[in-house]
Amino acid sequence: MAAFYVNIVHRPEMVPEYLQKEAEQGKVEDLTRRAVLQESLDIFRTQQQIAHANGLRTTVQMTYASLFNAEAVALAQEHHARFGDEIGLTFLGLQCAEFREKFKSKELAIWLFALDDKRRIVDELFGKFFEVFGFYPTSTGSYYMDAELVNYIKSRYPQVKAAVATCWEEGPKAYWNANNSWYTLLDGGPWNPWIPSKRNIHCPASDEADDIGLVAIPHLSRDLMAVFDGPGSYYGTHPQNILRGMAYEGRELPYFQNLVDQYRALAKYNRGYAYNMMFVGPGWMSKSGRWEADYAFLLKSYQEGLAYYGELKQQGLLQDLTMSEFADVYRQGRPYSRPECALWRDILYGSRRQMFWYADPAMRLCLDMNQGGALVDLRPYAAKLLRPCGVGTKANQDASYPFLVQSLYRAGYFTHYAGEGAVKSCKIGHGGEQVDLCACRTQASFSEAGDTRIVTLEPVTIEFEAFSVRVQSEFRLTEGSGEVEIIRRVLDSTRPDAELTIDEYITACYGTTEYPEDLTGVRLSLQSGSASEAIDYAYQCREAELADVQCVEAVIPPVDTRLSLRADGAASGYFREGFAFSPMYTLGIKKTLRGQGELRTWLKVAKAS
Amino acid sequence: MAQGRKGQLNYRCPRCLMREIDMDMLYDRDKAEYYCLRCSFTGDEREVLRLNAQFREKYRARTVRITEF
Repeated sequence: MAAFYVNIVHRPEMVPEYLQKEAEQGKVEDLTRRAVLQESLDIFRTQQQIAHANGLRTTVQMTYASLFNAEAVALAQEHHARFGDEIGLTFLGLQCAEFREKFKSKELAIWLFALDDKRRIVDELFGKFFEVFGFYPTSTGSYYMDAELVNYIKSRYPQVKAAVATCWEEGPKAYWNANNSWYTLLDGGPWNPWIPSKRNIHCPASDEADDIGLVAIPHLSRDLMAVFDGPGSYYGTHPQNILRGMAYEGRELPYFQNLVDQYRALAKYNRGYAYNMMFVGPGWMSKSGRWEADYAFLLKSYQEGLAYYGELKQQGLLQDLTMSEFADVYRQGRPYSRPECALWRDILYGSRRQMFWYADPAMRLCLDMNQGGALVDLRPYAAKLLRPCGVGTKANQDASYPFLVQSLYRAGYFTHYAGEGAVKSCKIGHGGEQVDLCACRTQASFSEAGDTRIVTLEPVTIEFEAFSVRVQSEFRLTEGSGEVEIIRRVLDSTRPDAELTIDEYITACYGTTEYPEDLTGVRLSLQSGSASEAIDYAYQCREAELADVQCVEAVIPPVDTRLSLRADGAASGYFREGFAFSPMYTLGIKKTLRGQGELRTWLKVAKAS
Repeated sequence: MAQGRKGQLNYRCPRCLMREIDMDMLYDRDKAEYYCLRCSFTGDEREVLRLNAQFREKYRARTVRITEF
């Protein structure tokens, strides 16, 4: 039977930034404003009461400010004793009079402090927690926890086993959504829990030596389609975020339950395991409302959300665990190489669109069935990039894990203008005609064969001027291989003697944002027996092609990644350099056939150094 | 001109929302209208609500309970 685990997290955030900003209208800053402290605590109490009324246990993540508040501490202790809630420690809600006095900083994001400051803050918070409760917490978190921060925590407080470590795809889109003022630039991680690498929190660990020592959970469970092209804080298991995105009518939001149910259904792709996380800060239940939603609506949405989880629990379809309990369950019998898979469908816009998400220690990728199964996102986890963030680092606020392909940030399949965008797809050609599978919408199904996950697309019909062919795509992902096997099968042709070319290609770049990075020094190469071709990227539109190719590859030094393509039989390979107005590189493998046949290729990402 | 203030409900600019930017508006009591500091939108509450309803139309499945996955 499938297991659906849920973590519900609450935090007594004594001075939530939203509430504070509201109370400050027309007044000067005062972090000790009594009205704010009291309202915040009331909200926390209300959230806990709703969870318990629905028979759900929570993880109470104490903020630094709440450790100085006797009422908040007493509530946490009482709920731990009465309901079995876990008492953890969060790095959210740092700002309060005590913090300001001690650290002389207005910084609110733990991952953006300089490393020395992060260490001092960790010791202060864990020390204060111990002083108050007499034990150290085993779960912690923030919107983002960089690997350097977690490595330090583990070195000092090895009992920590779970952390809220990132917000899925909260990056440039979240920044833009907040009028360029919200610095959670954290794209590129997994959407469901994972064991992070010691080198980079976004990457799942490859083995025990790479294991950072805790289970990371995402901050909320997000809509894997809506959030790819929209703000993270509109579409997730956070009822008030749904109100923010206005994905409701009247005062009803069936979308929340649809989202939960789709997450439950992911058990089909993950050996019977599914997960949800809900974490609503008190600022989202302000008595004076939030944007268009009044308090009554904010409260109703939260009550109904938890009531649905409670209903599922009563039916035996949900297990409410604390974060630390979940970490133990997650690790049981789970090999490091096991991927996380999600064949996601649209539940919001009324289309039949599907996307397939995949994450393992080598890569994260996304296939878009609206574009014939084109690969629209590719993150080279195999590189396990050391990429510290915060003050004093090169990345500074940009904590995202780089992509090689992100089709929305870098155009993807071009329907107009000159040039190319980042995407991996296939072109079927005949004479002077050519059709890109990006233009052929289709549907996918999921299956498994041993340790291989298979995504099979429904055949699409390509119409040339004088005849048509049916083409089917299949993607095979074998656990631990670090490769994607792609099969393009010509099933039949209305003119079997007509010659066809299958051109499997990837147009890529690298970066973390919409803006181009310098590709100078990227090395493109081809290998065929003793023949080889290679160039160092210089925006000169150079191309090369070799028959009977063994390997086509790009080495991208800024992200320490080797991207390669190979085929299983006679095929030619090529690379293509771009130009400044089209800063991309393309690798491809081509094959010619008549009637029926297939091209089988393997895409691999590996660490270059 | 009167001092802009936050309204009773803190409306976002509906035009900025169309491009997924959460931009708080200010309220001019004298003119009884909201205005945006970013995109020049002005309108009364009725106009804001009309445009918000338009924004929601993109979610064609917003009222549908989906049970088959």
